[in-house]
Amino acid sequence: MRKQWYRLDNAALIFPAIIRKNWNNVCRVSATLKENVDPDLLNQAIADLAPRFPTFFVRLRAGFFWYYLQRTEKPVQARPDYAYPLTHMSRKELKTCCVRILWFEKRIAVECFHSVTDGTGGMAFLQNLVARYLELKYGGEIPHEGNILDYREEPKPEEQRDCFLLCGAEGSVGRAEATAYRLEGEPEPDGFRHIITGIVPTDTLLEKAHEQKVTVTAYLAAVMGEAICARQAQQGRTGRKARPVKITIPVNLRKTFGLDTLRNFTLAVNIGYDPRLGTYTHEQVCRLMYHQLAAETIPQRMAGRVSTNVDLQRNLLLRLVPLFLKRIAMRLVYALSGERKGCLNISNMGTISLPEAMAGQVDRFDFVIGVQYSYPNNCSVASWQGKTCINMIRSIRDAELERLFFSRLVELGIPVEIESNRR
Amino acid sequence: MYCIQCGVKLQEGAESCPLCGTPVVDVRAEKQPTVQSWSDLYPAQKRHGQLLVISLITTVLMAASLGCLIFCLRTARNASWSGYVMLGCALLWVCFIFPLFFRKWKPMIFLPVDFACLAGFLLYICAKTGGSWFLSFAFPVTVLVGLITIAVVALFRYLRQGRLPLLAGLLILIGLSFMLVEFFQHITFGTPMFVWSLYCVCGFCAMGAFLLVASLIPSWRNALRRIFFF
Repeated sequence: MRKQWYRLDNAALIFPAIIRKNWNNVCRVSATLKENVDPDLLNQAIADLAPRFPTFFVRLRAGFFWYYLQRTEKPVQARPDYAYPLTHMSRKELKTCCVRILWFEKRIAVECFHSVTDGTGGMAFLQNLVARYLELKYGGEIPHEGNILDYREEPKPEEQRDCFLLCGAEGSVGRAEATAYRLEGEPEPDGFRHIITGIVPTDTLLEKAHEQKVTVTAYLAAVMGEAICARQAQQGRTGRKARPVKITIPVNLRKTFGLDTLRNFTLAVNIGYDPRLGTYTHEQVCRLMYHQLAAETIPQRMAGRVSTNVDLQRNLLLRLVPLFLKRIAMRLVYALSGERKGCLNISNMGTISLPEAMAGQVDRFDFVIGVQYSYPNNCSVASWQGKTCINMIRSIRDAELERLFFSRLVELGIPVEIESNRR
Repeated sequence: MYCIQCGVKLQEGAESCPLCGTPVVDVRAEKQPTVQSWSDLYPAQKRHGQLLVISLITTVLMAASLGCLIFCLRTARNASWSGYVMLGCALLWVCFIFPLFFRKWKPMIFLPVDFACLAGFLLYICAKTGGSWFLSFAFPVTVLVGLITIAVVALFRYLRQGRLPLLAGLLILIGLSFMLVEFFQHITFGTPMFVWSLYCVCGFCAMGAFLLVASLIPSWRNALRRIFFF
């Protein structure tokens, strides 16, 4: 029987080409339940969901012109969350399955290669997995509302489509941007990823953001910008030596264009300010971040930026170039421009909602994006039941940026509870 | 518990603040049992299908060798050209199938064996064709290429630090080795000395010099690492 395969969506094309020996682009979503996880039931839940979520149980294959995803014969088995989050997913592992499902005590985690889906898609899959697991454990049926789908239904074509191809504009928006300050530090030699989680009350965070008349994402970006600016100053980069501070914000285009998919549909925008132009007050930084984010994320501009990417994918001459040449070109373009335009990512998942029937069983949701090759730090945010988990991941030893960021939040009157996976 | 430096709330039982490292003294804290390591949870598994691949390819190579030998014996009454095919198949087997018997590819063992077999194959061709080029050309060039290959593999496989200056040195050596090849060509076949090899020397030495300079400047070094994915 011919194995089912899927084209990579527009955003996913770059990720297989830029895999390095010790790095690739992986993200993780996890849910902590009220009771310990039963691995047998979890495996049963995975097997039940496999036909409904075919684009998740895939392996990465290389064709002559493009990479593609091929459906696996059997669904992946859950395995213990053995070491540290986002352990390197090797090429060999990607050829077996691009998704890991892990469990540890009360926690169920899904780690997926970015070519499969983005954080929102991963979270939708995790919620369905938890829902099916809870159904198997406690019986009954969880209503199919919000992200929860009926696992007995056939997968819908719109869930598997490449939405980037549907929302382009007639014109395109250029990519030229100023190069940002690069965070640096001594890398962990064994590739260990440190994660420091700051848990803050969502209502206090919202209140502080609304005091400045900005969104939570813009507020966190402003605080992070201040922390990065302070870090630059610590390294002696002040005055003319300073570099622009820019934060990369992945924007969920599902809301912008009203399209839904379980594959990638996110586009990153860079917002920030230049410390060489003078000193900024907290209010000014908040307003700068908010207005830049608002201006960058209007649908017309996003559509123009999508067009820039999609036009390249549709170019007949480029399509006829063999994969090994495309790979070299993509690597060069990514190395020269992809990771030089921002200091770090702040990916805000927003407030997660679940059907009432299962909300009481879930204690916490976490969302962690892996570090970029050149950015040693990244930050991801998810809110659940009045608590916002700000996960800061780093591949370097020094936790100075985290200290500056979280202590700035405390200074601003937001209580922070800290957890870490320190060894 | 709160960190007295950062003002953040810490986990129960934390020994120090994860942000600033300020120690927290908590006499009630008990040590948690450590989590099992990856190798404890997932012991190495046997590889399936390896034997099948080895047997299949060995059978194909043997069939090709024996087929040629029988054909030669039936048509020319001697082994004639079938010797080349048989030794070629043996060389392929040593290079590509022999390493499959081992769990890990060990270049320091396999590569010398491969080049020794290649030298043996060339010796057979030289003897069979009545040539006198083996000792003065084929053997030294095979040894030279073998040494360079082993050095390149060792550089990228075993070295984690200081690859760039070594690669630069290696490129210069490769450039110079072309002169050596042309020298062997001159003494064996009587061709003019140092004609084409000078271009190679210039090209490789320029690349080597560039990498040597880049290895001394941290920003260049990092840029090269980022661009060339090593």
